Amino acid sequence: MPLLEIHGLTVRFGGLTAVSSLDFSVEAGALVALIGPNGAGKTTAFNVITGIYAPSSGSVRFDHQEIGGVSPHRICTHGIARTFQNIRLFRSLSALDNVRAALSGARRSGLLDVVRGPAWTAREQALEERARQLLTRLGLERLADAKADSLPYGEQRRLEIARALATEPRLLLLDEPAAGMNPSEKEALRSLVARLRQEFGVSIVLIDHDVAFVMNLCDRISVLDHGEKIAEGPPDAVRRDPKVIEAYLGSDAESA
Amino acid sequence: MAPARVSLMRRHWIVLAAAAALLVGLDTGLPHVLNAYYLTILTRIGVAVLAAVSLQLVNGFTGQFSIGHAGFMAVGAYVSAALSVYLGAGWLVALTALLPAPLARACYFPIPLVAGGLAAALAGLAVGIPALRLRGDYLAIATLGFGEIIRIAILNVDAVGGARGFSLTSAAQPAADLRYDGLGAIYAVVALSVLVIARLVYSAGGLAFRAVREDETAAESVGVATTRVKVEAFVVSSFFAGVAGALFAHSEGYVHTNSFAFLRSFEIVVFVVLGGLGSISGAILAAAVLTAAPEVLRGLGEWRMILYSLLLIVTMILRPQGLMGQREFPIGRWLGTRPRQPHAAA
Repeated sequence: MPLLEIHGLTVRFGGLTAVSSLDFSVEAGALVALIGPNGAGKTTAFNVITGIYAPSSGSVRFDHQEIGGVSPHRICTHGIARTFQNIRLFRSLSALDNVRAALSGARRSGLLDVVRGPAWTAREQALEERARQLLTRLGLERLADAKADSLPYGEQRRLEIARALATEPRLLLLDEPAAGMNPSEKEALRSLVARLRQEFGVSIVLIDHDVAFVMNLCDRISVLDHGEKIAEGPPDAVRRDPKVIEAYLGSDAESA
Repeated sequence: MAPARVSLMRRHWIVLAAAAALLVGLDTGLPHVLNAYYLTILTRIGVAVLAAVSLQLVNGFTGQFSIGHAGFMAVGAYVSAALSVYLGAGWLVALTALLPAPLARACYFPIPLVAGGLAAALAGLAVGIPALRLRGDYLAIATLGFGEIIRIAILNVDAVGGARGFSLTSAAQPAADLRYDGLGAIYAVVALSVLVIARLVYSAGGLAFRAVREDETAAESVGVATTRVKVEAFVVSSFFAGVAGALFAHSEGYVHTNSFAFLRSFEIVVFVVLGGLGSISGAILAAAVLTAAPEVLRGLGEWRMILYSLLLIVTMILRPQGLMGQREFPIGRWLGTRPRQPHAAA
């Protein structure tokens, strides 16, 4: 039984069908890529999985539970976290607070916390420690007190990943994490993503339109075009698939 | 680690004892030093500070734009005043028969304050649940509408004086003095309320408010129930606006709906924006300065309001982020809030 199982997912916005009867699944521990040209429906699929949009039809099951149409914060507590294509950090908060705000332990607070008892102090310290640990594991420890929007671009991307990991997800969705990065930054990101899977034991789905980027990284690639899945399989097979070459890779296929 | 915390606890008690002594001193000593004019201004500053800090929770920290805050003050003021006049006067007389007068009054007056706060919180819940589904301008208009509805509604309730205003004197118990203008006690209530709001905001749990302000979609994606957080902020904010209204009613001894018109709401928004959205210190500073300013400028006659407006304009040009930006006075560690100021990455 896969961790995430999408069956016959269709999303319509008025007359436009963004995603059309998509079947897609992610096994526990897998690292898969969702690729396709602009407007193929990749981000829409992410938005349905994370509850931002409700499916028009079809089912989205995560760990045996139907999560289609469930609100985003509930889906997060189920164990799905994400990053955004256009970085969405808590811009005026420090890097540390960005992570702290996402820790699931931070939700367990109430009005009584205004009395700063020893339990509160202990919990607050534990949360801060955990947030610092996460920053350290993503190489951001020196930037803990820096304002999020003052960080360099690559660090902002990493901070967004740290924040997503703070929710202790079992499935991590990365929406074009490599967008706007230069080749050396991409290389660093590639090793980071591989490390995340091992160290944090999360399954990862990542969106990209750079085929070369996902080629040596992922176990499996699904290709979307015009809202439909046109190919799926191991990277090498997908790269040679004539439908993919026609719809997406074009004449660059040989050099990719 | 442990000894440091013990000494911190001890320091807390010392601070608390010093504050209590100061407030009792203010309560009894100040009327001998200052005349009624200054006492009234200081009282109004206290009320303005509480109104501003409570609105800061919604507008500054949670990033919602409410401009109906005076409506919640009105609910608190009128509910507490009606409670005092129709029921409380009897309780106060009964308490005075049992206890020495100052103690009896100290026991009684928290009751209408809390009642006013709870009534306003209830109103906040009723308004917040539908209104907080709206964003930006629409929320502003909805809260503005609520503020006016409350004012007009009260204006038509004869039991609280209608357009004549409502005096805090009980016909059944004419001996009961329902006015409470002890400055020390008023400031104690304000300080305690501000402390509660500061501690609520500056903790890991309180980060949810700021997360909603920064980016609702991202906040949801990390598990923050944004609608619930917004309603919570709104209810807590309304509660303290109600307490401020109750303080106002009982210190003045008379309430009129004119005190809670749109202009009052707008004034509180100005405190919050001028002080710096997202700064409790800024709200306190701006509320104090701008409540005192019209009085300080009184010597200028008809130029007064022009200068007041110029002051606002110049401040916003020079410091568009408000007096304090998102900073706080550096007393956080003491108050158990520990706000950390982020800096730019090197």
